[in-house]
Amino acid sequence: MIRVALAGNPNVGKSVIFNSLTGSHQRVGNWPGKTVEKKEGVFRYGGEEIYVVDLPGTYSLTAYSVEELIARDYIIKEKPDVVVVVVDASNLERNLYLVLQILELGARVVIALNKMDLAEASNIHIDVKELEKLLGVPVVPMVAPKRVGVSELCRKILEVVRMSKRQTTRGTNVPSGDARDPRAGKQPVAVRYGADFERAIAEIARLVEGVPALRAYNLRWLAIKLLEGDSEVIKVVREAAAGEEVLRAAKGIRSRLEQKYGDLEMALIDERYKVVKRIVGRVVRGEKLLTASDALDQALLDKYLGIPIFVTVLWAIFQFTFIASAPFSDLLGDVFAALSERLAGITGIEHLDYLLFGEYGVINGIGMILSFVPLIMALYLAMSLFEDFGYMARAAFLMDRVMRRLGLTGRAIIPMILGFGCNIAGVYSTRAIPEERDRIVAIVTNPLMLCSARLAAFSVIAAAFWGYAAGSVLLSLYLLGIALAILVALALRKLVLRGPPSPFVMELPPYQMPSLKVAVTYMWFRGSLFFKKAGTVILLGLLVIGVLASTDASTLSFTSDVERSLVAALGHALKPLFAPLGWDWRLVVSVVFGFVAKEIVIGATAMLYGVPEERFGEFLVKRYDPMTMYAYMVFVLVYIPCVATLAAVRHETQSWKWAALTLAYGVVLAYALSLLTAAIGRAILLGV
Amino acid sequence: MSRSTVYYGAVLGLLYIVYGIVQLYNGAANWWLGREELLQLGIRAFGTYIPNAFPDPFSGLALVTVGLLFLDSLYHYARGNMKYVGYLFTAWLLSMVMLTLNVVEIVAIILDAYYPLLYGVEPNYEWSLASDPWGVAPHLVLGLLSLPLYFDLRSFIRELMPRYTKLGGSPQGLT
Repeated sequence: MIRVALAGNPNVGKSVIFNSLTGSHQRVGNWPGKTVEKKEGVFRYGGEEIYVVDLPGTYSLTAYSVEELIARDYIIKEKPDVVVVVVDASNLERNLYLVLQILELGARVVIALNKMDLAEASNIHIDVKELEKLLGVPVVPMVAPKRVGVSELCRKILEVVRMSKRQTTRGTNVPSGDARDPRAGKQPVAVRYGADFERAIAEIARLVEGVPALRAYNLRWLAIKLLEGDSEVIKVVREAAAGEEVLRAAKGIRSRLEQKYGDLEMALIDERYKVVKRIVGRVVRGEKLLTASDALDQALLDKYLGIPIFVTVLWAIFQFTFIASAPFSDLLGDVFAALSERLAGITGIEHLDYLLFGEYGVINGIGMILSFVPLIMALYLAMSLFEDFGYMARAAFLMDRVMRRLGLTGRAIIPMILGFGCNIAGVYSTRAIPEERDRIVAIVTNPLMLCSARLAAFSVIAAAFWGYAAGSVLLSLYLLGIALAILVALALRKLVLRGPPSPFVMELPPYQMPSLKVAVTYMWFRGSLFFKKAGTVILLGLLVIGVLASTDASTLSFTSDVERSLVAALGHALKPLFAPLGWDWRLVVSVVFGFVAKEIVIGATAMLYGVPEERFGEFLVKRYDPMTMYAYMVFVLVYIPCVATLAAVRHETQSWKWAALTLAYGVVLAYALSLLTAAIGRAILLGV
Repeated sequence: MSRSTVYYGAVLGLLYIVYGIVQLYNGAANWWLGREELLQLGIRAFGTYIPNAFPDPFSGLALVTVGLLFLDSLYHYARGNMKYVGYLFTAWLLSMVMLTLNVVEIVAIILDAYYPLLYGVEPNYEWSLASDPWGVAPHLVLGLLSLPLYFDLRSFIRELMPRYTKLGGSPQGLT
């Protein structure tokens, strides 16, 4: 049986080709020990039975992601008879990088040049013969959905296998997995890396050759990977007898070259791209026509206007969130105030009645929190519309540019955006970041993203103090969160988790008309989640505060004087710490209980002041100046994450150390920033 | 795309920038220096200005961004670069977003004032254009002026988001 592996970048039509070849004779499962899908199938052609495995779509063959490792390991260890690399003809430059890497592995390659129709329609004309000549392997032009080129591909697979068998029978010195174009009889292209690198590669290859356990590998590839510092290859060499010696020598050679060229992995990538550019320059004719999508990308990702556009979009989202939800939030607030009034005395038990419906009752706090459901729903409606249109992926791309300049990975962008909804989701989504150091940095900084729970609290304060400009004030807090996350990430990368960031390749989705149905469904889902949380964790948290607020600190009996309660005692004990920030004990207690869930912060504040939702904003304005409250919001934004987020940090880092660090830096940073904001703000803006 | 569309866009761009700067100035003066008097470049009507350049620096920056996009579109058009359509569309799209935002703001504030009538009590407050913090802001006026650009952008929008598919633009190239 002939064994064929299908490789290629994501979205190049690999699955279509796989289905065309195998029809219904396929099996879907997972790669051993991984959650990555494995598709395999069998078909017959030219009297031969051909087994095909669809490798995960990758942009390169580094050791940075599970998909890349699976694809690479399969080619190296399973040594398929042929590797069919599916290439998108309309995006040849990006796709050829992977082709060169697979050729470097020494595999027998056939190129399936797919999407030829799209390339032609975009005015891209590819000289297939020239490409075949330059790569030294067969190239089959294809339009997979129309089955154009499928038979030719099968024919080429057989030709390569038969040629390889003939060479083996004749005893030609063909290294394991060598690819030769059976018709042209040429060697596949080899990337030449410049004299210094070539000398180093040859030197390391000689050393590797001396280790019998490593002879099964393509020696040149192994040498290049050692030069790049590939962690998986280093592991393989270390496990081989006498491998340590090779590693020591390779390390010496590496350090020598690093002094001259800096990061060797980047230098070698540059060399490969030079070859890619040379090939593209020789085989591609015609200038690619600008599509509508390209033109829009040029504007949205503009070097200078890209970020202002992003800020404008964020501003519009927050203004919409705040403005559109205001009447509904007020209406809900009224409903709860009326409910509290109607239900007063219903239990017949004085203490319970006070706890539930009294001035400092739980209904007051819950009403305050539930009045934010419209706000959360409006936020998700707006975000979903922009996401559906395709803008959020472009925003991630823009931020990646900024992050990369700072030496951080762009892979952290998606968790950051998810963190705007909920930090727990943001922390769990960091699993997509393959490099451990980058992942930890992304986890530890995610709680700085302004989540919807904090948004609820901030919207009341912002509306009370800044009225119609509340959206802009909220935007300033979002931007502050992003800036702080970047600064903390930079500090961690420079001081604790040193090393280069992992590369990030991103596929931009096509633009599409946003679906109102999808947006409304999403909005409803998030709103109901918030409702559920209010009915469980938040309600429980507020009940605890309620009990503490109605228990006399000295006698531990019921009291209706909140100033004599346990919660007041706690607040008064901690108050000196927060005195420089200008808070009273109630604000102190609310941030302490915010550790359970951030929504509690504002609910608890309303409860402890004994002010109903509809008068709460007005009450705050009378009691505090704008800068104290802005500084308070800065504190709540930055200080400790909620307990569920902290648990997620511990779970994802598998270490209490990182959870403790998240807690510690949050408190210190929050206190310092809040103090600074209040002091500078009062001095400059209020002249105090 | 006709030349007059691009020039019209450029004129709109200048207006967006002017009103953006006014809002920026008003925002800085009112928020940070506590000045109550605002700079207005509108017509006095209904006890307010139309357009009403309410003080908000972020809103000002948003207007300036739209203005710059319109002007960038003219710049690329003058250089014969087809990407000008992308800039024109982005500017138009953002102007539509702001127009919608202003309309939502007016509707929301009227709702907020009068929803108590639903259960038979006095309104929360009396709404008027003069008491509305946004009122007819530059976002609404300039957005309305941008509306006609749709007729020239229709083919671009169709190519970007084909009507009956969710798979994105066709690769036919801009003409």
